[in-house]
Amino acid sequence: MLSRVAGNLYWFARYLERAENTARLINVNTYLLLDLPRLITPGWLPLVEISGNEAAFNKAYSDASEANVLRFLICDPDNPDSILSTLRMARENMRTSRDVTPREVWELINDLYYDVRDHGERALLRQHRHNGLTEIIRDIQRIVGMLYTSMSHDTAYRFMRLGFHLEQADMTSRIIDITSADLLPHQADELAPLQNIQWMSVLKSLTAYQMYRRHVRLRVNGTSVLQFLIQNHDFPRSVHFCLFHMGSQLQRLPSSPESWHQLQRLKCIVDDANLTTMDQDGLHNFIDEIQQGLANLHRRLAASYFGG
Amino acid sequence: MTINWDKYRSDGFYDELFMPNGQPRTAARPLIDYLRSLSDADIRIRREASDLTIKLMGITFTVYSEGQMIDRAWPFDIIPRVIPLSEWQRVEDGLKQRVRALNMFIHDIYNKQNIICDGVFPKYLIERSKNFRPQCVGVSPPLKTWAHICGTDLVRDSDGTIYVLEDNLRVPSGVSYMLENRMVSKRVFPEVFETANIMPVDDYPTQLYDTLAALSPRRVKQPTIALLTPGIYNSAYFEHAYLAQQMGIELVIGSDLYVDQDDCVYMRTISGPRRVDVIYRRIDDLFLDPTVFRKDSMLGTPGLFRAWLNGKVALANAPGAGVADDKVIYTYVPDFIKYYLGEDAILPNVPSYRCHLKKEQEYVLANLDKLVVKPANESGGYGMLIGPHASEAERERFKALILDSPRDYMAQPTLALSTAPTLSRKRVAPRHLDLRPFILSGKEQYVTTGGLTRVALRKGSLVVNSSQGGGSKDTWIVDTGEKG
Repeated sequence: MLSRVAGNLYWFARYLERAENTARLINVNTYLLLDLPRLITPGWLPLVEISGNEAAFNKAYSDASEANVLRFLICDPDNPDSILSTLRMARENMRTSRDVTPREVWELINDLYYDVRDHGERALLRQHRHNGLTEIIRDIQRIVGMLYTSMSHDTAYRFMRLGFHLEQADMTSRIIDITSADLLPHQADELAPLQNIQWMSVLKSLTAYQMYRRHVRLRVNGTSVLQFLIQNHDFPRSVHFCLFHMGSQLQRLPSSPESWHQLQRLKCIVDDANLTTMDQDGLHNFIDEIQQGLANLHRRLAASYFGG
Repeated sequence: MTINWDKYRSDGFYDELFMPNGQPRTAARPLIDYLRSLSDADIRIRREASDLTIKLMGITFTVYSEGQMIDRAWPFDIIPRVIPLSEWQRVEDGLKQRVRALNMFIHDIYNKQNIICDGVFPKYLIERSKNFRPQCVGVSPPLKTWAHICGTDLVRDSDGTIYVLEDNLRVPSGVSYMLENRMVSKRVFPEVFETANIMPVDDYPTQLYDTLAALSPRRVKQPTIALLTPGIYNSAYFEHAYLAQQMGIELVIGSDLYVDQDDCVYMRTISGPRRVDVIYRRIDDLFLDPTVFRKDSMLGTPGLFRAWLNGKVALANAPGAGVADDKVIYTYVPDFIKYYLGEDAILPNVPSYRCHLKKEQEYVLANLDKLVVKPANESGGYGMLIGPHASEAERERFKALILDSPRDYMAQPTLALSTAPTLSRKRVAPRHLDLRPFILSGKEQYVTTGGLTRVALRKGSLVVNSSQGGGSKDTWIVDTGEKG
C-alpha cells in the first residue's frame, strides 16, 4: 500500500473522530452548565482549552462567551479543529482514498461536510443545538459503522483503526485533564454533590456514563471514573482500550519496531499508574506523559508508514 | 405515443441505425424491433434505471465550477450505436495498420529520420512541432514502440465512408466510459443481449495490463505497474482510478515516486520503497519531470526521464510520442503508411488542406466560410474555426492567424457527420456522433471492440466533446453472420 494512501486513511479517521468528540463535548457542556450554580460554573473556556487552540481563539475573539466559543468550535473555518474544518479535512483525505473505501462512505462524508458548511450556524442557538450536534454525531457513526460492516478489514482498514484509536486516546486524556482541573482539590468540601455532577458530565462527554454504572456499580467518584476512563479493558473510549487495539492492528501491519516499542512503553505507563493516590498535580503530569507518548507514537507511525 | 419509430428520419445524413427509407439497418434490426415493442413508459423506466445506475456506479468526470471541483455524471444516451462486425473488421485492420505506421514514424523521427532524408516528409514540420521533444532524440524504447495506447477518432460522412479525424497519441481518455456504458446497457436492455449477437468489450483492461507488463525492463513474473495520475482535480481522474482498479495496479501521484541513485524508480509504500517497472502515465510530457521539462511542474517526479532514458523504467506512452498528434503531421499519415509499410491506407484521412503549402493555403483562405480550420496542437475541440457558423470577424481573425503562422493550421471541409437516434426529452431525434476506438501496441496489437461513441446532444451540433455539451452511447459491434 502506498504511504500516501495509508496516511490519508489514518488522518481521515483522526479528523472524523475529532469532529465527533468535539460535537459530544459541546452537547454535554451545554447541559452541565444548566445544572451548576452560576458562581462555580466553569463556563465555556475549558472547551477551547481541550482543543489546545487558546492562542488562536484569543486572537480572534474578545471573550469566551458561549456564542464565541461555539462559533469557534463548530463553524469557524480558521480554527483547524472546528467541526467544520475537521470534516473538511476528513473529506479531503477520503477524496483520494475513494478507490479503497466503499463508495457510500464518500457520499456520506460529502453530504455531512456540506450540511455543516451550509447549516452549521444553526447549532449556535441552544434550541437547535442538541439536534444539530446529535445529527452530526449520528452521521459520523453511520460512516464508522459502514466502514466496519462493508469494508474488508484489510491493511487500509487497519490504518483507519490506528487513526480512530489514537485520536480517541488523545481526546479522552485531554477531556480528563481539562475537566478534572477544578475537581480534585475540593474533594472533601461542601461542593461534593456538584462534583458528582461534574464527574458525571466527564463520563457523559465520552458517552461513558451508562457503561460506567454497569461496570463499576458505585456512586460516581473521582478515582473510579479516572480508572474507568484510563484503565478499563472493555470500554472503547478508555485509553487502555485504544492502546490495546492499536497494538492488535500494528501486529498485522508491516513491522515497525519503533512504533511497537513506543506503544508498549505507553501502555505500561497507563496500566501501571496508581490512580487512587494521585493528586491534582500528579494527575496532570500523568496525563501530560500520556499526551507526549501519543504524540511520539504518531511521529513513529508517520516515519514508518507515511513517509515522514 | 410520442415516440414514433416509423417517422424517424435523418435527412441528408448517414444514420447509423436507419436506412434513408426508414427501415432499420440489418445489424440494428433486433435492437429496433425491441425498442418498438416498448411503450413510452417502458422507455422512461429504462432511462431512469440508466441514470440511477450511472449515479450508483459513480461514473463521473470532474469539472471546475463556481470555484470548486464537482463531479458530474457524463450524459449517457440509452439507445446504442450499432456497427456490423463485417464492417468493423475492416476498420480494425485499418487502425492497426495506421498505428503501426505511426509508431514507425515516431521511431524514425527520433532516430535516423529516413523519411526526411528520402524527401517524403519535410523537416521543418518537425522543427516547429510543439510536441517534438529534442530530449528524446536517439532513444530506442522497448519494442521500438512509442504510442502503446492510441485513441483514434473516426467519423462517418453522408456517403457512409468512415474517415480518420485525428489520432490521440499523448494521454487519450474515454475508454472507461466505453466499459461502463456497456455495464449500463446490459442492465437496461438485458433482453436484446439475448437475441442479438453483440460482441463483448470487457477484455480491454486485461489487454492493457498485458501490453504494459510486456514493457517491463525486469524479467519478473509480476512486474510492478503504476498508473501515474495528475490527481483528483484532473477531469479524467475517475478513469485513472477506474483503470487502476480494473487492472489491479497502483494509482500514484508524482510525489509517491522517486528516482534513486541507481536510476530506478521507487514508490513509497508502507513496507518501504518498492521498485516500479512500468508507468502508465496520464500526465502530459511537459509535466513528467521538472528536471527536464517544465520546472514548475508539481505533478511529475524529478529524475523520471533519466530513469526512462537508462531503460530502468518503461513509460507508456513514451515521452515524445505526441509528435504525431499534431494535426498538420496527421495529414501525412497516408504517406507514412505507404512509406513504412508499402501499403495503401485502409482508412482514409478526412480530406485536408495544409496551410504551409502555398496552393492549399490559397484554397483555404478563399473558402474559409466552407471549411473547419484547426490549430495543429490543441485538443478538446478548442481553438477551431467552424467556417459556416463563424462571423465575418472571426474568419478575418483566423485569416490573420494562418498568414502569421501557416504551419500551425490545417483545414478540412465540414463533414456531414453521421447520426443516430437519440432520446431528447420525450422524443427520439437524430444527433451527430463520432467514434473513438483505442488501439494497443506492444508485442501484438489490439483494438477495442467498437470504442467510445460520443454524441452531440444539441440539435444540429457537431461538437461531441464532454467539455462542450457532448454525451456518449454504448457501441455495439453486432455479428450478423455476413462476411466482410
